Amino acid sequence: MPPLLKLFSRLLIAGASLSLIAPAQAEWPSETVRLIVPYAPGGTTDVLSRKVADLLQQEIGTVVVENRPGAGSTMATAQLARGGRGADHTILMASPGHTIGPVLYKNLRYEPVKDFRFIRNIIEIPNVMTVPANSPYDSLGAFVEAAKTKELTFSSAGVGSSIHMSGELFKTMTGAKMTHVPFRGSGEALPALLSGDVDVSFENMPTVLAHIKSGKLRALAVTSKEPSPFLPGVGTVSQLGADQGLGEFVTTAWFGLIADDSMPDEAVTRLQTALEKVMADPGFLEFVAQVGGEPAAQAGDAFRDYVAEDVERWSAVAGQAQIEE
Amino acid sequence: MEGLNEVLTLFLSIDNFIAIGVGVLIGVIVGAIPGLTATMAVALALPFTFSLAPVTAILLLVGIYKGGMYGGSVTAILIHTPGSPASACTLLDGYPLTQQGKAKKALQMALYSSCIADVLSNLALILFASYLAKIALNFGPPEFFWLICFSLTIIISIAGESVIKGLIVACLGIIISCIGMDAVHGTQRLTFDNYNLMDRVSFVPLLIGLFAIPEVLDFYLKKASPHIRAASSGVGLTMKELKASMSSIVRGSLIGVIIGAIPGTGATAAAFISYSDAKRRSPNRANFGKGELDGVAAAESGNNGVAGATLIPLLSLGIPGDVITAIILGAFMIHGLTPGPVLFQENLPVVYALFCGIMISSVVLLAVGHGVIRYFSLIAEIPKAVLLPIVLLFCVYGAFAVNNSVFDIGLMLFFGVVGYLFKITGFATAPFLLGFILGPMFEDNLRRTLLIGRGDPMIFFRGPITWCFIALTLLSLFFALRRYWLERIRTAP
Repeated sequence: MPPLLKLFSRLLIAGASLSLIAPAQAEWPSETVRLIVPYAPGGTTDVLSRKVADLLQQEIGTVVVENRPGAGSTMATAQLARGGRGADHTILMASPGHTIGPVLYKNLRYEPVKDFRFIRNIIEIPNVMTVPANSPYDSLGAFVEAAKTKELTFSSAGVGSSIHMSGELFKTMTGAKMTHVPFRGSGEALPALLSGDVDVSFENMPTVLAHIKSGKLRALAVTSKEPSPFLPGVGTVSQLGADQGLGEFVTTAWFGLIADDSMPDEAVTRLQTALEKVMADPGFLEFVAQVGGEPAAQAGDAFRDYVAEDVERWSAVAGQAQIEE
Repeated sequence: MEGLNEVLTLFLSIDNFIAIGVGVLIGVIVGAIPGLTATMAVALALPFTFSLAPVTAILLLVGIYKGGMYGGSVTAILIHTPGSPASACTLLDGYPLTQQGKAKKALQMALYSSCIADVLSNLALILFASYLAKIALNFGPPEFFWLICFSLTIIISIAGESVIKGLIVACLGIIISCIGMDAVHGTQRLTFDNYNLMDRVSFVPLLIGLFAIPEVLDFYLKKASPHIRAASSGVGLTMKELKASMSSIVRGSLIGVIIGAIPGTGATAAAFISYSDAKRRSPNRANFGKGELDGVAAAESGNNGVAGATLIPLLSLGIPGDVITAIILGAFMIHGLTPGPVLFQENLPVVYALFCGIMISSVVLLAVGHGVIRYFSLIAEIPKAVLLPIVLLFCVYGAFAVNNSVFDIGLMLFFGVVGYLFKITGFATAPFLLGFILGPMFEDNLRRTLLIGRGDPMIFFRGPITWCFIALTLLSLFFALRRYWLERIRTAP
């Protein structure tokens, strides 16, 4: 073979093999994936994110968890929405803060639905309408009747928490006279409920479950669509309160992964496939049971619609409750 | 007997001892770096505990927590930069001691008082957990309100040269703490539409700016700060000095235990309450703030007394008292354990194995602390021209690292200038910090109390705990004001 032809054929082979390698190189992820937790360490979002990251690593390689707390999760979400370098390898654990934030904080530089890719909803945790053990109200009906004549109080983990908004939703649907008593986090709010300083709370399930089981708190109803297997014998607000105008009352805390809208389809699909495996892991299911939640079903567009519905609901509630906008 | 056997099987594993040792060491080192708090170290270590046995995992985190509490005092004493918020009070006397060439003494006093407080706090956890948890539950917003009122009276005792100046800076601190979202209605206050201020002013950048930056500025503006070199920065602590401070340490530990058992108050307040109590009782009152060993002892025993006691509401009620215990709660959950009454019923051996480990951690803290003091003391030997640029670097990094926010670096520099202005105009910085910490707690609990009482002011006087704190507040005010007037009369021409 003449030398030139030899060189040419070698180049051809090299080029061909490169073209074979090229798709492998472009395969997502080509760098470390960052999972942003928009809250401080500790708490359900943080613990869940770390659990998911731990399992996700086995599917897609290194996943680094970063906490970026601030302004009820909107600080980190705004950063994510800005996109730029690395945005295609950054995911964020969104929760009701994502849909309530825009109601609460003005000047948000993002649209909670339009600006993001919705990868998958991971877990749903119902809130529980809970009263202290020595409370005179032993049923949802009795509570609503009392709340219409007397001024009762409800506690929450802070303005704009899903606990607060559930209480406001309850008020607007029943016409109950209830005063909101905000605390900074469930850790501070729980003692006030246990000691009977406040009359009711729509607390997240993991915070109150152990106390309900030990008899220190009484569950009147769960806020999810279906009764929770963790509280057998406790009905849902929508069932028990159908006569009091609560037939449509459904609120759950959800936790799902979102990304900037610049994330390519391929990456979203890859993450969705990996998350299917993560969510089938016995360790994950055990964790879900531990926090009193259930694995969520929505992925992609279904997740987007779910979030959009949530945004609509909360802005309506905030409008009626005259929360600052 | 079988139960004891199970406890020992759970506890006596080499993994547990390694976890405690490594945890405390990490805690001390991270705690000593400004901006890197024990909270961050615990959060970062959490994923590594997933694969460990539950007891080992929790002990690793508890070790980091305890080490971090002590570690924070190291830089407070050596370079006027509290490594963690709780050690802000330690620098009031710790840093003057370093300037006098007594760094080693101050570091050792901080270590011994931390360890003694730690042991007492652990004992309170083990022996009185259920009893203290009941008291904690009786602490509603009205009780909190009076506790905060009592804490605010401390401002008078840490005001420095002038009480009026102290009150002015405390008010400034309270105003700064008002920035951000109002806790009841969600109204934006003093944010000037700046997105970065919508939450609140971040604590760590403020803390670093207020204390560390003025030292750096002072050095470069004066260029004459004499560097004190003593053999290993002075001699160690004598037994006599430790004994003299013992009553402050024990009282500080008890204050720490009580504050720690009540969720939501925190180690910083405990340190200041303990410090002001020691100052009030001390015959060397005038020397507080100028390098009094008793001041270091009181501050450190106050903040370390909290460490064991914060586990009381966590273990017995499942309520985390601060961010670190919130992360530890997360660790429990990941390992399938739910802190609270159920834990004591279903996993009693685990609880007792944890208690054994927590007791051991105090001993490990003493050993590790002793080992590292030797090296830490060397920091006091580094010429300031070399040390301060490094400090500045850590300050910038520390301010950024908390929220990964560049805005926070600017915030730190701003408070650095504020701190420097305080310094040159003779205003004490500590009341500013206390105002900043206590201001929101005061407002929150005042408003919560009124909401719970539906506007009826009688709720402020609803029980023995409120009366007890009202009495303490009035007594504290009375004695502080009496001393102030007596001194004015004495110094009047």
